[in-house]
Amino acid sequence: MTDPHETRKRPPWLRALGLVTLVLFAVGAYLALVVSPPDVNQGQLIRMMYAHVAVAWVCFVAVIVTALYGMLFLWQGKHLNDARAVANAEVATFFAGLTLLSGMTYSKPTLNTYWTWDAKLTLTALMFALLVGYFVVRGLIDDPTRRGRVSAVIGIVVAVSLPFNYLAAAWFRTLHPTLSVAVTGIHMAPTMLVVLLFNVGVAALVYLTFVSERVRIARLERAREEARERRERGAAEGEVVRV
Amino acid sequence: MGDTGVMPAPDASPEVPAIALDGVTKRFGREPVLRGLRLEMAPGRVAVLRGSNGAGKTTLLRLLATRLRPTSGHGRVFGYDLQRGGDEVRRRVALLSVLGGNYAMLTARENLALAATLTGLPDADVDGALAHVGLAQVADVLTRTFSSGMKKRLGLARLLLVDAPLWLLDEPFAALDEDGKRLLEDALASARAGGRTILMASHELERSSRFADAVLELEGGRLLRAGSGA
Amino acid sequence: MSDLAAILAVARKDLLQEVRGRAVTVATLFFSAVTLVMMAFAIGQDAALLQRSAPGVLWVALAFAGVIASAQSFQSDLEEGAFDQLLLYPVPRASVFLGKLLANWLYLTLLGLLMTPVTLVLYGAPAGPRAWLLVPTLALGTLGFALIATFYAALTANLRAREALLPVLMFPVVVPVLLGAVRASEATLQLSNAALTGGWLQLLGGFDLVYLVTCTAIFHLVVEE
Repeated sequence: MTDPHETRKRPPWLRALGLVTLVLFAVGAYLALVVSPPDVNQGQLIRMMYAHVAVAWVCFVAVIVTALYGMLFLWQGKHLNDARAVANAEVATFFAGLTLLSGMTYSKPTLNTYWTWDAKLTLTALMFALLVGYFVVRGLIDDPTRRGRVSAVIGIVVAVSLPFNYLAAAWFRTLHPTLSVAVTGIHMAPTMLVVLLFNVGVAALVYLTFVSERVRIARLERAREEARERRERGAAEGEVVRV
Repeated sequence: MGDTGVMPAPDASPEVPAIALDGVTKRFGREPVLRGLRLEMAPGRVAVLRGSNGAGKTTLLRLLATRLRPTSGHGRVFGYDLQRGGDEVRRRVALLSVLGGNYAMLTARENLALAATLTGLPDADVDGALAHVGLAQVADVLTRTFSSGMKKRLGLARLLLVDAPLWLLDEPFAALDEDGKRLLEDALASARAGGRTILMASHELERSSRFADAVLELEGGRLLRAGSGA
Repeated sequence: MSDLAAILAVARKDLLQEVRGRAVTVATLFFSAVTLVMMAFAIGQDAALLQRSAPGVLWVALAFAGVIASAQSFQSDLEEGAFDQLLLYPVPRASVFLGKLLANWLYLTLLGLLMTPVTLVLYGAPAGPRAWLLVPTLALGTLGFALIATFYAALTANLRAREALLPVLMFPVVVPVLLGAVRASEATLQLSNAALTGGWLQLLGGFDLVYLVTCTAIFHLVVEE
């Protein structure tokens, strides 16, 4: 029998993770802002690229993980998996927003425009729209089981749309070759590659921390739900009615 | 009358209950509509389901027809699990719903023919069923123009056509005129004689209780046998 | 009774309802026509620009028509509990989906076949020798729209959601279809590099195949309650 007060505190491993993430974030920021040399073409602005690419990649991974947990929920029916799916979807949405913002911050000074039909940006914008749809539909359903199942369906469609939307965005880009600065177009010095990968790792850690914390909270909420359900069911079961 | 369809007769021996519910709970939001229902109904029996409006009678019937999934608990119809054996359950169940379930832009005959095709009985006697419920004259009229009584009769015709082993009826007497009510009573009597299992939600006490083996009360989400305490 | 018979029965019912009720036909014809004309006015006098815009306008009009058609196909079912009844038959859910999909697809293709010459005329885009390729393009493109529209229409209908939710859910998914169909049409009409047509049609075909399998497999989850 777990002590209810104890479970409400953040478990040590999560606290450690959060701390490590914070520290590495600082390191990553230092690397990006100080250590990395300015780019040949874009100068200081390249430093934004580290954040931009990092959050974009993590966003896409989170979308896939959302779908995977959704499928797990369909298969096993454990509400924890639905909670995990939602946590991932939330992080994905947040990171998609960050990607779009960083992209716009990036392109305004370099290209004098807020929006470019960059493949990654376009894809992210579509993902953002799809994720909004995910949450809107979730908001329409009260029953937790049904909500989880329908969410899983949407999650699957969103994940399946990733490759197609990427293709569409990339091919669309080739039709408008004028305005964009693709990451691959940047000449990457070895230092820059290291900094980039490090920051991607940091972004992944931030993602893990957020998701873990979010799932922990969802677990507590769910435990309360289940306690209530058990009380109801216990009081309810009567004799078998035979006809 | 029971010869219009070629549904398999209840394939279960009398040991397999027509309906077996074990702790079935159904909630749509926070509050459960059905709480921990436990029911065992033997094949060939007839039960009337009573309860105030919103008590969950329709929910229970739809759940048995596999239209709804239980939030928790298990249910079986003729031994087939409601969730895992959905197709098998649907093969043995017919539901007469309050709304009728007819397509407004199809004629009476087309509606029945569709029902026949989708139930796997393409050669069923559609005209016979229509005649039996007194709709032969309007067989080729769009149901859009039907009165609610006529729509009910069409629903009954569908029930007769499909002739499932388990009949689920939701307020079947509502909207029917005297003739219609008598028609329904006869149909129920014949079905019963033919070994069909019938669960009927009805406010109409007299008519429905006439051949019922039991009257069940659904109150506060719980199922009780009428007359029992608690 | 085979699944195919069930699919055809459902499709036939939908088409029969439409032939008699004409609610969708009127709405989509009117809407498409208005879109074409309004866009022509908005784009203006520049003949070359008008010509180049033709495929884009056509497919956007078809996309919206897809939304209207699919939403309506479930609307009429919901009215008298007919959709509920449909789900009570011992027919696999996938068959119900495929039946409705078939009807919507057929309908959209016919609409497309009607709208295409109208668009070409209004926008001054000549048909050209490879114009026949527009037919497979129409078929593949409308299938893509019909797939996603039917799927999500069932979802929003079952949730009793606002009809405005359907395009919100659907459009980010069908962007590849829109893109592929427009580009393929462009290439066919020789408004752009004709050699690209194959590639775009492949994208459309791939999309259709993948989503056909996916949506059919998970449709039963969309209509359960």
